[in-house]
Order: sequence, then C-alpha cells, then structure tokens
Amino acid sequence: MNRVKFIDRMAQGKVARRDMLRAAAAIGVGVSTMPLKARAANNITAMEWAGYEAPEYYQAYVAKHEKAPDFSFFSTEEEAFEKIRAGFPADLMHPCTYSINQFKDGGLVKPIDTSRLSNWPDVIEPLKTWSGVVLEGDVVMVPTDWGNSSVLYRTDMVDPEYMKDESWSILFDEKYTGRVAPSDGESNVEIAGLLLGMSRDDIFHMTDEQMEQVRPLLERQTKVARFYWTAQAEAIAALASGEIVAAYAWNDAVKTLTKDGIPVKYAVPKEGIFTWLCGLTLLNSGEGDEALTYDFLDAWLSPETGKYMIEEVGYGHGNRKSFELAAPEALAALGFSTDPTQMLSDGILFQPVPGDINTKYINLFNEIQAMSGT
Amino acid sequence: MANKAIAASAARAAPRPASGVSAFFLKHEWARGYTLLSPTLGVMIIAMCVPVFMLTAHSFWTQNYLTIDKTFTFANYVQFWEKEIYFKLLVKSIKISAIVTFTTVVLAYPMAYFMAFKVKKNKLVWLILITVPFWTSFLLRVFAWKIILGFNGVINSGLISLGLIQEPLEFLLYNPTAVIITLAHAWAAFVILPIYVSLEKIDRSLLEAATDLGDGPVSRFLRVTLPLSMPGVIAACLFVFIPTVGDYVTPKLVGGTEGIMIGNIIQSQFGKANNWPLGSALSIYMVFGITLCVLGFLLVARLITKGGSLKAS
Amino acid sequence: MSIVASKAAKSAAHVHVPSSIMEGRPYGGLFFYAVFYLSFIYIPVLFLPLFSFNDSIYIAFPLKGFTTKWYGEMAASNGLIEALKNSLKVGTAVCIISTIFGVLAAKAMTRYRFPAKGPITGLIMLPFVVPGIILGIALLILTYSMGMELSLFTIAVSHVLLAVPFSMLVLISRMEGFDKNLEEASLDLGEGPWRTFWQVTFPLTLPGIVASLLLCFSVSFDEFILAFFLSGNEATLPIYIWSQLRFPSKLPSVLALGACIFVFSCVLVTFSEWLRRRGVQVKTASSV
Repeated sequence: MNRVKFIDRMAQGKVARRDMLRAAAAIGVGVSTMPLKARAANNITAMEWAGYEAPEYYQAYVAKHEKAPDFSFFSTEEEAFEKIRAGFPADLMHPCTYSINQFKDGGLVKPIDTSRLSNWPDVIEPLKTWSGVVLEGDVVMVPTDWGNSSVLYRTDMVDPEYMKDESWSILFDEKYTGRVAPSDGESNVEIAGLLLGMSRDDIFHMTDEQMEQVRPLLERQTKVARFYWTAQAEAIAALASGEIVAAYAWNDAVKTLTKDGIPVKYAVPKEGIFTWLCGLTLLNSGEGDEALTYDFLDAWLSPETGKYMIEEVGYGHGNRKSFELAAPEALAALGFSTDPTQMLSDGILFQPVPGDINTKYINLFNEIQAMSGT
Repeated sequence: MANKAIAASAARAAPRPASGVSAFFLKHEWARGYTLLSPTLGVMIIAMCVPVFMLTAHSFWTQNYLTIDKTFTFANYVQFWEKEIYFKLLVKSIKISAIVTFTTVVLAYPMAYFMAFKVKKNKLVWLILITVPFWTSFLLRVFAWKIILGFNGVINSGLISLGLIQEPLEFLLYNPTAVIITLAHAWAAFVILPIYVSLEKIDRSLLEAATDLGDGPVSRFLRVTLPLSMPGVIAACLFVFIPTVGDYVTPKLVGGTEGIMIGNIIQSQFGKANNWPLGSALSIYMVFGITLCVLGFLLVARLITKGGSLKAS
Repeated sequence: MSIVASKAAKSAAHVHVPSSIMEGRPYGGLFFYAVFYLSFIYIPVLFLPLFSFNDSIYIAFPLKGFTTKWYGEMAASNGLIEALKNSLKVGTAVCIISTIFGVLAAKAMTRYRFPAKGPITGLIMLPFVVPGIILGIALLILTYSMGMELSLFTIAVSHVLLAVPFSMLVLISRMEGFDKNLEEASLDLGEGPWRTFWQVTFPLTLPGIVASLLLCFSVSFDEFILAFFLSGNEATLPIYIWSQLRFPSKLPSVLALGACIFVFSCVLVTFSEWLRRRGVQVKTASSV
C-alpha cells in the first residue's frame, strides 16, 4: 500500500476498517510495505457451502476447462462476508436474497453482464428481475437454488382443526408450548409481522412502530418454542422423535420424513408460504480469470445442474428447463409442479431487508432472546 | 532421598568458572528465565497484538450498519450498564461456567486419582483412552446428547419402561442444565489429564511418611495429596472456566430459549447485528469478569496449597 | 558420570514404593467409579457407530433398519476425506509445535524466578478470551500484511496460539515442585544442556508431554472459527462439517466418518499396546 496515499485517504476518512487494520497489523510486526502476493494465475476461487463443490453442479465448466475451481467453504454468510472484506480473494460467493444487501453495501459485489451467460434466457422469468437478483438496476446474483419455507407438522399430533386452517400462528401458539421449533433468526420478525396482517412488502420494511407491534408476539414465541434451530437436521430429528409437533422447515425435510413413514404435512399457511432464493454473486475481490467466472455461472444455470439439484437435494433451480428435465416423481415428492412460475408467484419471496432495518430486526430478536434467558 | 543427596553434593563439588555472557546468565536468574520463555512469549506477543488492538480500538468506536465511526467514545461501555440484561447474562454465564468447572473437576478427580495410583501398567494407554471420545466432531456429540436427554430419548424411555415416570421429563434438554451436562462431557479430557500428570508425580515416599506420622487416608489426602496436586487442579479449572464463559455454540444447540449466554450476544454483535464496537466492549467486560473470578480462585487455591504444605512440613 | 543423574531422574519418575498404602484392593470403590466415569465419557460417543448403521437421515429413535450405505457415501465424498487428511496434518503439526513452546515456557516458569510471571501467564492465556471471530480476522489481516498466503500452515499457526496455553499449563502442573538439583547435577557433571534435557528433564516430564500432545491435538482437530478465517482452498474437517450442515441429508456420512475415527483410534491404541507388550516379552525373554 502506498503510504502517502493511505494517509491521504485516512485524512479524507475514506479508509475502510480493513485498510486501517491492515495498516495497524503492518506496524505491529514492523512491516511497512505490502509485498505482492504470488498467486497461481487464472484459477478462480468460489466461496461455497460444502456439498456444492460436487462437479455435478458445474458439469459444463469441467467439460470445457477440465478442472474445477478452488473452493473455500463457509457456514454462515456473515462470516464469509467478514473474510472477504478482510481481503480473502474470492471470485464468487453463494449468498441468498436476505444476505445479498450486506455484500452490495460492503462494496464487494461486481455487477453481472447477463449477455455473457448462454443460459440466462431460460432463467425463470420473474426471477430475472426479482429484488435481490437485481439491486439498484444491476444484476448482482444469478438465481440458482430456491425453495419454500413453511410450517412442517406432525399430522398425528396436531389438533385436527389446525389441518383445516393451516397458519404460521402455530409457531406462536401457547397451546403448543414446548412443542414447536422455529428457525433461529430474524425471519421470525417477518413472520410475526405477517400474522399481524402487515402486507407482504411491509414485513421487509417495518417502521419502528411496527416493530414494537410485533414485539409481544415474539416474546410469546420465546416462551412457546422448545428451541430455535440452527441446523435443519435438529428440527427433522425432533419431529421424527415426537419431541416437537411443528417446525419451520424447507421442502427437503418433507421428503426425508415422509420416506421414513413419519406422518408429516407441509403446510400452506393462509398468510402465505415463503420462498427463499440463493444464487451466485461475482465479487470484485477476485483475482481469477473473469472469463472463467462467467463460464462457472453459466454451468450452474444449465438445466442439467437443475435436474441434479432437484433430484439430489430437493431444491428448485433457476432454469425453467430443469423442471421439464427432472423426474416427475422427484418434483412431486417435494411438492413442486412442472410450472415453477406459478409456484414462485404464490409465495412470499424473502426480500433483501435494507441494512439498517435488518440490524434493527436482529437487535429486536436478540434482545427478546436475551431477556428470556435471564 | 538418596538421589537428591548425591545430586546436591555433586552440584556443590563442581562449581564451574564462568565468564562474560554466561556469567551474566549465571548471575541473573531472570535473564535465564526470560531467555527460555522468549520463543513462546515472542510468538504470542506478535500474534496477539493485532487482535488485542482491534478489540480495544473498536470498543471505543461506534458502528452504524457497515460504517465505523472512529470518534473516541465510552458509549459502548456505558451501554453495558444501561441495559441490565448484559450484566445479568454475564453473571449467568460466569455462574454456568463455575458450575461446569466445579462439576467437571469434582467428577474427574477420582478418575485421575485412579489412573495415577491404581493403574499400574499402560498408563499412557489410559491417557489416550480418555481422549479418544473427543476426536469425533463436537456437533455429533451434541446430537448424541440430544438422543440421550431428549423427549423420547434414552433416559426418558428408560425411566418410562421402568415405570418410574408416566410422562417424559422435559427439563432434561433445552435449558441451562443441558448446557452444563454437555460442557461437562466435552471438557472431561481437559480436566483429567492435568490432574493426572500432577498426581502422578507425587513422590510416594511422602505419602508413606504421612502414614508413618499416623495420618488416616482422609487427612493424608487433605494434607499431602490434594495440596501437591493443586497445580493440576488449577490448570484444569482454568481450562474449563475461561473458555466456557464465552461459549456460544453449546447454548445455541442444547440451551433452548433459557440457555442463552453472554457469548451468544457477543457473537451476534460481530456477526449479523453488525455492531463490533458493542461486541468488543462486551468482550472486554467479560475478560474483566473472568480475570476477577480467576484471581479470586487462585487466592483460595494458594491458601489450600500453602495450608497443606505447611501442615505437611 | 551423567548416568548417575539420568538414573536418578528415571527412578524419580517411576518411584515404586512397595507399600501397603498404594496397594488398594483392585476392585475397590474407586475402580467402580472409574467404570462409571468411563461410561459417562463413552456412552454418548458409542451412539455414533450405532446410528451410522441406521437407515435414516436423522439421528433419533426408534431405529429404522440396518444399512451400510452411509459408509459408501462417506468414502465417495472426496471433500470429507480431503478435509480429514488436512485436519490430521494440521493437528499433528499443532500438537508437536505447541508442546515444544509449552515445554520451553513451562520450564522457564517453574525453574526460574523472575518478575511479572502473573501478567505473562495472563498474556499467554489471552487466546482463550478474545472472541474467535476477532482473533480469526486479525490473524487473517496479519497474514496478508506479511505477504503470506492462506494455507494449512496458517491454520496451524492460529491453532498453536490456542493450544499453547493448554500445553503450558499442563506442563507447569507436571514440572512444578520438581527437584532442580537433578538438572543442576547433570549440568555440573559436564553434560550439555541438550543431554541434560534428554536424560533428565524429558523422562521426568514425559507424562506431561503426552498429555499436552493429546490435548493440543484435540483442540486443533475440532476447532472451527480460526480454521475458517485462516483457510485458503484446503478445508479442515470442522469447516467442512459445519459448512455442509445446510444439507441434512449429508449428516449421516459425517456420522459414519465420526464412527470410523472413533473405532480406528481405539483399534490403533489396542494394537500398539499389543505390539509393545510383545516387544517387552521378547526383550525380557532374550535378556534372560
């Protein structure tokens, strides 16, 4: 780093935490220059969830380049964000709509030129323009995997009345105290907002007053919940053993439990079913060959990848053709139809919550959790 | 102790002349001490100065979403006292850790004693046997505990089939008790090993001497064995207590809604909540809390050791 | 002459005082307690092999049926196997390096008197209390500012920081109260410091060194957050497992791997013990 430039930028208040600390670190060890890093040229680095490194997800890329990218695994998007911001030279990252804002606001995201993607025209139409795929007019994320979030419940243990009137309210219902497991995180704030009758859009942009309105509901939930799950495997095991009656869950959980003969049903709550969407984002921290990153994105968007994803992990895919390619019984087991567009327009997409509001959601949720813990 | 006598007389018999640098080292014990310590200490200082600087600096700054405001302020430290939940959670975490530490050490001491005094052969094998269960992922061990403590788990099924209870007990899992059980299990090796190594070095002749002086097993234990094994007990207590106060994974996985600890709040500040300054200030309060407790504990431990060795001599 | 000192050290390390006080009944209360305690440690872990053969994705009773397919999946998962190899490499390096640092520090702390011992111990314990994410990011920035690349090496360095406090304290608890005269005798008898170390100090501290190696390995083998921030393209086992948690269907193969590690370690210990015993028998036989 050029020292004069650095001081100059510092004076202008433009130095990011990363630079500041880099400088501090440099002083700390008596190193005042930043030697150039020798790097293997060209190969790209993708930050991924472990499991997605399987070549089936990017066959076309392997076929063309006869090698896989380098993978670096993360388990939460926040940790991945901090690692990239601290200087990790990743070319690609796999965020979701609810976490993409942070990457965008942190200045890490590189807009995607969709004309360089041969599979882009086949991307499911509404996904092409969805909030989170597009931010401020730029395509920032290629939509790859998506699915539903809803209530999964034991039909043999729930009140028969509930089955006629499926609702998110079961995760807040005192009748089921100690028998439900919501997921851990601020999505509960949004669900509570939905229950109070806020609009599908408002729940992602609550005002301070609206947040105060949902507070009592969330306080009740912490008393009702047996636990908040961090890994879906926890919820699945607890449903199977009968420890809990209902949980927040994704589509694949239905498949897992039904296969073992556990009587469960995936609710279509009257307030609406949620849709989550994740995808691949290009990062400007990357040092790999840009052409390779586009080939990788394109490979991920191919219908073959989609077929594998639907059949293997039970998620929906961004390419509409993959739904025609996938085995019909695999789609049926997941509750998907061959027409994903309808399904997507029925659901409530988890929108990117603006950073400052998101922080408030998180603080609200944390505060209530902390209160219940003292 | 014949060996000692030989060694000591040999030491007196052959004083070596020294000069220059070596004379300096011979004359100044601290110089020899620091020299020997310097590799470890050097590595630690180089590696720890950046994190400590980061932690301290952030605690005096403020953050709004992703923007850090570097104006010096005590706001984060003040905030700790404004909302009483932080203090309450810190106290609660220290309490849970203290219970974990106490239980683990009390449960492990007899085991370490058994290995040191009753096991005659293959002691190394025993050391490894104690450690092997902890080479499986913590995550898997947590799932195992859920099977044991859960609603339809091993304990509940067992008690029901024995006719002792009608309904499954729900208080076994997803509360602070579950956190304590899981942690007491997770840290077992870290407690047994230090206590074992300090018990094993105790000179058996001291124990004999105590018996010759008419001590019963209990008073021999209190006057000789316990004080001499105190270094191991102290190490074990520090191993468990210090890291568990800030733990956030275990509370999250088995603590349920009541099991939350200060570590969960701190971790969230550095993660989703995007408030590094508050997280740093909370960490610094936590370090102070831990230091106070440890100093208090060391004082008590010193009294036990001294009391024992005074009486023994 | 040094034989005297080293013999003295050896006999101090293994004092066999044939006396009534040490000869407890072999199956006394303490023995039963040991059995009870070992089952407390082992029972949760023994569920892992059990469930690794269960024909179901989730870990819950009742069992569904016998299968070995999870072992097949485990063997087919290159990522998992690579991660295991990396963890073994890092763990081995960490336990050796940390123990060397620990021996030096513990020796200094117990052998010499010098000021500021308390604060120094506190400083060495710092990695216990600094939140993992701060430590991880700070070390990452430090790594880059020194012009280094992330690799297994950087993971190992960060784990050494975490393991040294364990190593040092275990070794202090071993070395404290040892007779300085044995070492002084050896030195004064003209032995170099290295020979003194190998002949006197090492045998005396051996149990402490073994304990330190085991603890440091365990610390490294299950550490996630530092490994995450300091890993480049090579993941360790905890990174892989926690990252894969998004897919519940992958959990059983992790379970199978856990069971394999557990069973393999037990077999290895038993086998090496059997070898050692045979070795001892052969030796005694030949010496007779």
